[in-house]
Amino acid sequence: MSAAATVLSSAAELRSALATLPAGSVWQASRLAQGNGPIISSGFDALDAELPGGGWPANALIELLVDRPGVGELSLLLPVLNRPSSERWLAWVAPPFLPYAPALAAAGVPLSHLLLIRPAPADVLWAARQAVASGACAAVLAWPPRIDTAGLRRLQLAAEEAVTPLFLFRPYTAARQASPAPLRLVLTGAGEMLQVSILKRRGPPASAPLLLAVRRLQGNVAGLPGGGTDIEVQPEAPPSFTDGQVAAARDCGTTLRMIRRPPLPPSSRSSLLLVR
Amino acid sequence: MLWLALLLPDLPLQIFTRGGIDLPLAVTAGHPRPLVVAANARARGLGVEAGQGIAAALAIAPSLHLQARVPALEAETLAEVACWAGAFSPRISLVPPDAVLLEIEASLRLFGGADAIADAIRSGLGRLGLEGALATAPTPLAARWFARAHAGTTGAPPRDWRSRLDALPLALLGDGTGVAPATLELLAGVGLHTLGEIRLLPRAGLARRQASAVIDTLARARGDLPDPQPWFVPPPQYAHRIALPAAVSDTEPLTFAARRLFAGLAAWLASRHAAVDHCLLELIHERHPATRVAIVTGAPCRDESRLALLAREHLARLELAAPVEALRLVADTPLPFAPRPDDLFGHPGRARDSAVLLLDRLRARLGSDAVHLLETRADHRPEVAWADTATAAQLPAGPGSSASASVRPARPLWLLPEPQPLAAESVTLVDGPERIEGGWWDQADIRRDYYLARGPDQALWWIFQDLEPPGTWYVHGYFG
Repeated sequence: MSAAATVLSSAAELRSALATLPAGSVWQASRLAQGNGPIISSGFDALDAELPGGGWPANALIELLVDRPGVGELSLLLPVLNRPSSERWLAWVAPPFLPYAPALAAAGVPLSHLLLIRPAPADVLWAARQAVASGACAAVLAWPPRIDTAGLRRLQLAAEEAVTPLFLFRPYTAARQASPAPLRLVLTGAGEMLQVSILKRRGPPASAPLLLAVRRLQGNVAGLPGGGTDIEVQPEAPPSFTDGQVAAARDCGTTLRMIRRPPLPPSSRSSLLLVR
Repeated sequence: MLWLALLLPDLPLQIFTRGGIDLPLAVTAGHPRPLVVAANARARGLGVEAGQGIAAALAIAPSLHLQARVPALEAETLAEVACWAGAFSPRISLVPPDAVLLEIEASLRLFGGADAIADAIRSGLGRLGLEGALATAPTPLAARWFARAHAGTTGAPPRDWRSRLDALPLALLGDGTGVAPATLELLAGVGLHTLGEIRLLPRAGLARRQASAVIDTLARARGDLPDPQPWFVPPPQYAHRIALPAAVSDTEPLTFAARRLFAGLAAWLASRHAAVDHCLLELIHERHPATRVAIVTGAPCRDESRLALLAREHLARLELAAPVEALRLVADTPLPFAPRPDDLFGHPGRARDSAVLLLDRLRARLGSDAVHLLETRADHRPEVAWADTATAAQLPAGPGSSASASVRPARPLWLLPEPQPLAAESVTLVDGPERIEGGWWDQADIRRDYYLARGPDQALWWIFQDLEPPGTWYVHGYFG
């Protein structure tokens, strides 16, 4: 009789039966998938530990669901963007704002490799697919306006064939839409950290969201005593600081700052104090 | 010497059909009563034959498209084939109306034999949209006759090629030689059928009957007399044209036809060791000035598939003003071209090529103002500390240029194109201020205090207060 016909009476027997099979032929849902596709380390050990294969899949569509700019969504990808790659582009398709060159250069991103593509909304998917399918990009970041499942499927196939990771930034409402992306993360701000919740991965559902210190510039900000200074902005009457508030902000230990002093007589207005 | 004859007997028809548009088509010639001189397979299937009058042909096949024969375009296409054949041998001779002769002795080693050259020529002709007959022989006349009679081989000539020549029919003697038709009639009247039978006749008798040209021609064909050929010199610029069998108002067939022209261009460039960085595709209309499509590549290129790909993107975007009758490709500034060598590991040459190709494709479809490359500028005003360098055609350089690693205040990864007034919401200042002031020298004077602030959802913003009254607060970036 074949082994399949044997009745397995207990879980232990099942486990021992599984152990006899060739490695990799059975995937247990309780374990992370160990795909044989190429992997790019995310640069964050805590995140790598939670991702199947130990990093970003290099041949897949990766969805990053983020609602507000400024939570650290780009900083999360900086290790990927910093990877040295010979003569391949880092394509940004239809970013919502301007990627700021001095900040990227300071973070170590090779600006000469950065390809910024700003197509008309109807051409965003085409451009993203071209960038991925060409194989001429080390990574593609795309901000599509709206995209249906068929479009996602095409992007996923292109990423798979050309072995180019495609990071797709979408609003959080897209979480309800089914997606062929093997990896979907929700990014939210959490204090000084970036909170990463894994919505979908090849493996068991992630138990708790991860907190990642993605911003290197945060060294000084993180040490802020008791938060900062609250200001209320009224639409009609633009508020201004009292000097005490500015002084409080200054106390948080910055590198090189020009500090506004109390109102000076007009004759000496140009005199500014440089403090370290 | 080894000659390869490339014969294009169907040229009058193929100048129309090479564009890939499949219609029942017949080519007519003659005045005052034009007759069908050639018909394509679909027309022949409908019963159209050479020699029919136009009225008869149209009565048989009402859907037939008729085109008058264009000898000028035939000659031009033959020259295009000769240009293209320059990729196989530098010694090319043109024999109007329909033959191109290549002296391939010196190319045998490079291509791996006469058969390999013939195969490459056949497949290359297919890319040009043409079909021809090939044959090799030690003399140009023999090669041409073998090709004409479909009796030759394309490999190394067999030892008994002279006796095979003797077996060729008599009528070939009139093909592109100085032998008068009357002489041929005379020989046929004597009862001769093959070339070999002529040689058995007494020479004195032939000479008396004004047939000494026959003896000369045969001697040249057999290699007993020298047969010098005028060499074809490729023109300094490439300008060739494809006629379409019927006016086309859709760009899709044009893409296919244009590919034929790019194949010719690529071979012309290869034979000149050159490349182009731009060329012009003209769509010729009947009663409308030609539509000109400029195809610009990022770097000098002679890859036909790449040029065809760019042309496809351009054509797909094009609104045709009128139906297109013909296509013309002009490349008048060949540039010296040095192919990049691939190194031992990997293929950086190829990676670089595909990087340029991607740039070219995106620019072709989206317009060059949709593709940007960034660089930093030494200015402390945020708006002018970066620049768009999209106008130049750079490539991703080698390992990235090291950024200025100086310790500097934090800058956001996202910059708003225009500072947005801070809406009525609460933000928490976490760092700052940093005074940025300057710009009196170019009328973009700013005086601002920048702060890091925490906005809703814990997002980190880069905000500033304009120090000019009324001191409005703005958002200028996000620490993404």
